[in-house]
Amino acid sequence: MSLARRDFIKEAMAGWVLLSSPVAALSETPKTNKKIVWVMLRGAMDSLHAVLPMADPDFMVHRGALVNPIKHQLLPLQDGFALHPALKNCHRWYQHQQCMPIVAVASGYRARSHFEAQDQMESGLDNTQHDNGWLARAVSQTHGQGLAIAQTVPIALRGPQLASTWFPSHFISSDDDLLDRLALLYQGDETFSQLLQSAVNTRDSLSMSDKGKSNTQFPLLAQRCGELVANNPAVNCAMLELGGWDTHNNASGRLNRQFELLDKGLAALEIALGKTWQQTVVIVTTEFGRTVAINGTKGTDHGTGSAMFLLGGAVQGQQVSGQWPSLAPGKLYQNRDLMPTSDVRSWIGGVLQQHWSLSLNQVKQVFPDVAPVMQAIIKT
Amino acid sequence: MPSKQAYIAANRFGYGADTKTMTMMQELPKQWLSDQLTSHRVNAELEFSSQRWGSHQVLESVAAYTANKLVAKVGTKKELSKKTNQIIIQSIRSAIKSDNPFLWRVLDFFSNHFSVTGNKLVTRALAPALEIEAIGPHLSGRFSDMLMAIEAHPAMLYYLDNVNSIGPNSSQARRSKKNRGLNENLAREILELHTLGLNAGYQQRDVTELAKAITGWSVGRKKEPTGFIFRDRAHEPGRRQIMTHTYAEGGLKQGQDILFDLANHPATARHISTKLVTHFISDSPPQAVVDTMVKKWLETQGHIPEVINVMVQHPLSWSNTLAKFKTPRDLVISACRACGLKTLRPNFIRSLTILGQKPFGAGSPAGYKDIGEYWMGPSAMMSRIEWVNHISKLAKETPQVIAERALGPFLRAETSVQIKRAESKRQGLTLLLMSPEFQQR
Repeated sequence: MSLARRDFIKEAMAGWVLLSSPVAALSETPKTNKKIVWVMLRGAMDSLHAVLPMADPDFMVHRGALVNPIKHQLLPLQDGFALHPALKNCHRWYQHQQCMPIVAVASGYRARSHFEAQDQMESGLDNTQHDNGWLARAVSQTHGQGLAIAQTVPIALRGPQLASTWFPSHFISSDDDLLDRLALLYQGDETFSQLLQSAVNTRDSLSMSDKGKSNTQFPLLAQRCGELVANNPAVNCAMLELGGWDTHNNASGRLNRQFELLDKGLAALEIALGKTWQQTVVIVTTEFGRTVAINGTKGTDHGTGSAMFLLGGAVQGQQVSGQWPSLAPGKLYQNRDLMPTSDVRSWIGGVLQQHWSLSLNQVKQVFPDVAPVMQAIIKT
Repeated sequence: MPSKQAYIAANRFGYGADTKTMTMMQELPKQWLSDQLTSHRVNAELEFSSQRWGSHQVLESVAAYTANKLVAKVGTKKELSKKTNQIIIQSIRSAIKSDNPFLWRVLDFFSNHFSVTGNKLVTRALAPALEIEAIGPHLSGRFSDMLMAIEAHPAMLYYLDNVNSIGPNSSQARRSKKNRGLNENLAREILELHTLGLNAGYQQRDVTELAKAITGWSVGRKKEPTGFIFRDRAHEPGRRQIMTHTYAEGGLKQGQDILFDLANHPATARHISTKLVTHFISDSPPQAVVDTMVKKWLETQGHIPEVINVMVQHPLSWSNTLAKFKTPRDLVISACRACGLKTLRPNFIRSLTILGQKPFGAGSPAGYKDIGEYWMGPSAMMSRIEWVNHISKLAKETPQVIAERALGPFLRAETSVQIKRAESKRQGLTLLLMSPEFQQR
């Protein structure tokens, strides 16, 4: 049904509006079948509790109270780093050369507002543009299609072409007759015509979507994301998000649960991607780090340097990347935060160059403010 | 037949036209709007909540629940959620049938401006009380009073972690062996979101200074009195400097003085005026309207009805172009008002959650975004169609009657034709509620 429906819509619309990009994009095969999934952790994930620098002599001085309860369950990495015990699957991938934690990273943003920092990270530009996202710029270089697992289009996927969004549906889906009548009703109103067209296209291209009970838990969203990416040749990148990281108080228990949720979701993504996992890079980032010291409410406050992860079959894993700046007195950023030593965007730029084979010039279109890393981060 | 301007007043500034609204308005739409923000009307509108379920009752119930958790008093927690949901549903129901819809819209605006997310039992249960106790009573007064009520409200103090923030040099910190200290969360959001706004010239040190000034602003526990308390022992001693102003030591008053000055700062006047115009008029707010509001703000020390009245009186606020795409909340309330629906299944909270705007669920102290683009994702659009089609079966009247009453001269001929050609009453109503002239205001 979906193909016939799309053809009808195409014909019906062709007469009065320019075909908006979803239709055009879906009928085109992207230049690469390699996939990128970006997981944005909103709220500033406490990287020092995810990738623990156990070999740094100052670490336990600051973080002893938070680390002691899990000290004996830590999952070892190279160079004296360790993963939080809840990140079991990440550690499995690490051992199978499919996971690369990168330490002491930051975006170009140096203040401490979540919202500003997230917007800048999504935009990928030093001067944030709210309708111009890095993932939208990247995907346009490959003639692919971006997908957001969200109710509305996030900044990262805003650009000249409309991205698809998907979120669990709750009602009986609308019948074709109603949709046809709406198309007639919107004739002459370009905004609403395009809205309808993209809504219908998204629904049709994702017609395997769940009919069961609605569930907005991260593992289910990650699973659906994996299925959609694996089953849609045109979709070559997707964005997932997970909030709840702003651990100003009682960080220990909250982070246990958060890491578990994240790790479960990533595992669900792997299973759903199936064979496609081998050609996938999952990028996990957060807007900034948290203070090195514990605050008065058993948590940490907004900081600067953080960590990110590259995961997936395509990643040159089993290494901890990024230069560690040390937590010694005098080495902290503004005397309180982990000093960033590289830019998140230089690593993502590296992924675009090595995984999607974008030229240096194309990467520059995506991230004009930083150069991609030279280090090999993708398997050859 | 009422004028075009009357329909603009009802739709752009309220929750839509109905027979009673249009009769009351007669030919004085601006008067109708400016009459709504009085303490008398606010009290009457919020009477449903009265004193039966305020923050005191919430805090007592939460304390009782926490104390008895070990003996598994599941009933208490259920009861708490039930009452919270009842209050939320009751306020939506009041907005639907209200004779003062503009008042509810302004209340809703400030509730989103001072967004609290119910991410824990206590914040979820307290959030509706913040609206009723701290926002409502000050809608007819000055912004500084509202600000002070907000920052001293248990919902905000819990939500942004100020309850346990302790001055590093306070007597409590000196006596305590535990590593307890300052939490900057509330202070940062006061500056960034509640008052001055981003890039208004404050620095990290101002955040820290403000955080110190409001140490001790907390909520009573166990044997202490219920509700807001100022803990002198947790308060950071000494003078504080915020930007260029120095504030003498003075316990609770120090923080209040700072909040008063922040409320009357030109950057605050501009930040909130811009947000108001963005909310009511256009995603690209006309600068001329904002400028006159800022001027009035500074003249009247942020008198909310006077500032808002400047917007109401401004010719640029009355364009015939429908520039705002309704938020899910606007859509749900205006659709129920248009169709005369008093209850829904799924209920209001569930419906709004499905449409992406769960009450007290923005997930960020910045609140829900107030621009159309944010609500226009393809999947969100399909949810809208499905939701509208779902509730369309509940209306009793014919779509044509509802269309003419709700939209008057804004009903397009095309829509009218499509409604008449619809295969069923339900389908006709879906087409009406999904029409560009109903989806925008």
